[in-house]
Amino acid sequence: MDFGFSKDQDLIRKSAREFIEKECPKEKVRELKQDKKGFDTKIWKKMANLGFMGLVIAEEYHGTEGDFLDLMIFMEEIGRNIFPCPFFITVCQCAPAIEEFGTAAQKKNILPKIAEKGEIWSYAVNEDKADYEASDIQLSAVAKGDGYVLNGTKLFVPYANSAKKILVVGRTTQSDNPEEGITLFIVDANSDGVEIEEIPTAAKDMKCEVRFNNVTVSRDDVLGEIDKGWAIVDYVLQYGAVLKSAEMSGGTQAALDIANKYAKERFQFGKPIGSFQSLQHRLVKMLTEVDGLKNLVYEAAWNIDEGTPNKMLNSMVKVKANNVYHRVCFDAVYIHGAIGWTEEMDISLYLLRAKANENDCGGTNFHRERIAKELESYEPDFLAMK
Amino acid sequence: MDFKYDEKAEALRKQIREFVKENLPQDKERGMFSEEHDDDEWAFSMNMSKKLSEIGWLTMSWPKAYGGMDASVWERCILGEEAGYWGIPGLGMGVSGTAWVGPSMMLFGTEEQKKKYLPLIASGDPDGVWCTGYSEPDAGSDMASLQTRAERVGDEYIINGQKVWTSAAHRSRWCWMACRTDPDAKRKHDGLSVIIVDMKSEGVTIRPIPNIIGAHYFNEIFFKDVRVPAENLVGKENNGWNQLMQALAFERGIALGASSRGMRLLDELVQYTKETGDFKRSEIRQKLADLAVDIRALRILALEAAWKASKGEMVIYEPSRDKAYNDEVMEKMGIIGTEIIGAYAQVDPMCVSKKWKRILGMIEGNYWGAAGMAIAAGTTDTMRNIIAQFGLGLPRGY
Ligand SMILES: Cc1cc2nc3c(=O)[nH]c(=O)nc-3n(C[C@H](O)[C@H](O)[C@H](O)COP(=O)(O)OP(=O)(O)OC[C@H]3O[C@@H](n4cnc5c(N)ncnc54)[C@H](O)[C@@H]3O)c2cc1C
Repeated sequence: MDFGFSKDQDLIRKSAREFIEKECPKEKVRELKQDKKGFDTKIWKKMANLGFMGLVIAEEYHGTEGDFLDLMIFMEEIGRNIFPCPFFITVCQCAPAIEEFGTAAQKKNILPKIAEKGEIWSYAVNEDKADYEASDIQLSAVAKGDGYVLNGTKLFVPYANSAKKILVVGRTTQSDNPEEGITLFIVDANSDGVEIEEIPTAAKDMKCEVRFNNVTVSRDDVLGEIDKGWAIVDYVLQYGAVLKSAEMSGGTQAALDIANKYAKERFQFGKPIGSFQSLQHRLVKMLTEVDGLKNLVYEAAWNIDEGTPNKMLNSMVKVKANNVYHRVCFDAVYIHGAIGWTEEMDISLYLLRAKANENDCGGTNFHRERIAKELESYEPDFLAMK
Repeated sequence: MDFKYDEKAEALRKQIREFVKENLPQDKERGMFSEEHDDDEWAFSMNMSKKLSEIGWLTMSWPKAYGGMDASVWERCILGEEAGYWGIPGLGMGVSGTAWVGPSMMLFGTEEQKKKYLPLIASGDPDGVWCTGYSEPDAGSDMASLQTRAERVGDEYIINGQKVWTSAAHRSRWCWMACRTDPDAKRKHDGLSVIIVDMKSEGVTIRPIPNIIGAHYFNEIFFKDVRVPAENLVGKENNGWNQLMQALAFERGIALGASSRGMRLLDELVQYTKETGDFKRSEIRQKLADLAVDIRALRILALEAAWKASKGEMVIYEPSRDKAYNDEVMEKMGIIGTEIIGAYAQVDPMCVSKKWKRILGMIEGNYWGAAGMAIAAGTTDTMRNIIAQFGLGLPRGY
């Protein structure tokens, strides 16, 4: 048992933190809320040049073949500074899906572009209900000639308006088991029939509606097997839930630090407000939740890194992240008083982000249900003893 | 990073399960009230202490010289987990023998004390059973204001005063006592000492205080001119406060066992609701899933604290954090669990007949226990005061 990071891992954290703080201070984060793309392409290029995009991509495809934990550390740092960019959707969702399920040709063709040039990808899964249930996937994909024709609408697709390619989850076959009949397609975002519209989100974190009107996709651009796409969706979901939670965990750590600092600086009744016990106890609960989330993320990420991913734990982590990010930010705003409820204060950026991240890779009830399924199916130790 | 126990520790888990299979029938709940209360239960528990001692598990993490096995922190953690899950009684040697008297004595005791008391605890015999005398009628959360006086006269201390809420005092051979040795110290914290008192001494009177369910768990103790040899002073005279903070950190580091106890209750609740069909109901599934998250978080926090301690880092706020969090989780489990067993939750936990019990009475046992455990070893809010000061660097607020 060892909760410590290696020297290399500490170095990755340090360089990620320094880069993000330098390139994207909070004024920049605010500025980007007004930006058409929602991120800064110059910073993105620098990231690609520094090799951040290829952090976990195999050397064969021009990445540096780092560990999952390296990626987790990077996400934690992104979250700490709420650094807006399509890193998560490209590097944490699409690239791993291609690397795990792509054909040799797809990998060879796609991954170096992401690793070296920072080609932007997005992932389109949510539809009308905007949850992650297999039954919600209804975008129709009908075989025609040598390929498929897509019709339907995807929602909350991150940075779709900047993406070169979109990985689209479609339904090729209707069946009693909604997990059957799902297929993934690699779609050029500039294809005829693709329409992209920004969804106005509170955090201005660039999520889009993407409409597909008779969009044709060639057979070569199917990812994985026809009708068997749910395995990919589930892989991306679990992998992503842990990394999104790492981002959220970074955010909670920062929000707590901000609130704790403010509590020492703001005076009322002739004393720092941090000397009032009710406020202290609020901060203490925040600290406990932040510590709990942080370590659960580490445990889940380590298990993925080891090749022993734990489905129940991955869902637990996202439930915890959703609850803790909300709790910590709400309390942090409260600790600031009225100034906390203004655009001007950094803490408000975090609260907006907490809600923006909540449904990414699965909401709270969705993941609780997944936990329940696992609980239901496993044989408890005490029964074995009887 | 590594979130797996090493092989040696996992091998120990297997051995413990074999032991449980042979020695601890799982057809009965051994609740947190019964063993101190009931003579037969106490005898069962002492018998278990002896068996655990013979294998070496009772004090496994102690050095061999004092009756231990030099086991690793992680082996000790496994034992804690398994004890929580299976409800293994007898590991405490009273409330405090193995958990904080021994470890504190190793830090602060004289060589003679270590040679005398540690092997006694390790033996699993009744003469190694300890209680802890800190609280007094006017010194609860504000422990440093305690008044029980230990006056040095020649080569003895003469003790006068009263302790209260002393768990298992009526089963104990020794009391790990906090006394005032310097009534004139400028700060009240600076006049305290830790002294070992033989409960068989003349002038010691123990009276039971029935707890919320009528069980004899804790006591009040009166000390009237009790003479204790001066060599029973632990550590330095008037340095008691610092030593006690360390002992309390040991005492509050209970979260790992508590989390696996929580796992057991969760497993039982899942099984129960699967059998009743309630697990199909979405509100039940969602609540149990939520509880599973809390228990897992409690576990990882406890392990993190153990890891820090294993590296020789000072764990200053973590034991308090984990104790306070455990208080919350136990209560939540109490609410969800008793909602699930419904009307049966009101059955008297002292009732022995299984006829009226669901899940062997574990659920209501946890519920009643949670109300007390939030107070024991320092209240939840006292923990929060400590964390605010030492974990967040906030000015003292009271
Ligand atoms: C099951 C059980 C077993 C126990 N076993 C032992 C034992 O073996 N040995 C022993 O010495 N003691 C034992 N205790 C006593 C325990 O340590 C004390 O009960 C505890 O420290 C609280 O003290 P008190 O009961 O006097 O409550 P008080 O200190 O009077 O507290 C009453 C209330 O006021 C709150 N409060 C007090 N001060 C503050 C503050 N500064 N800020 C905010 N809130 C505050 C408390 O949180 C609590 O809610 C046991 C208690 C229980 C319940």
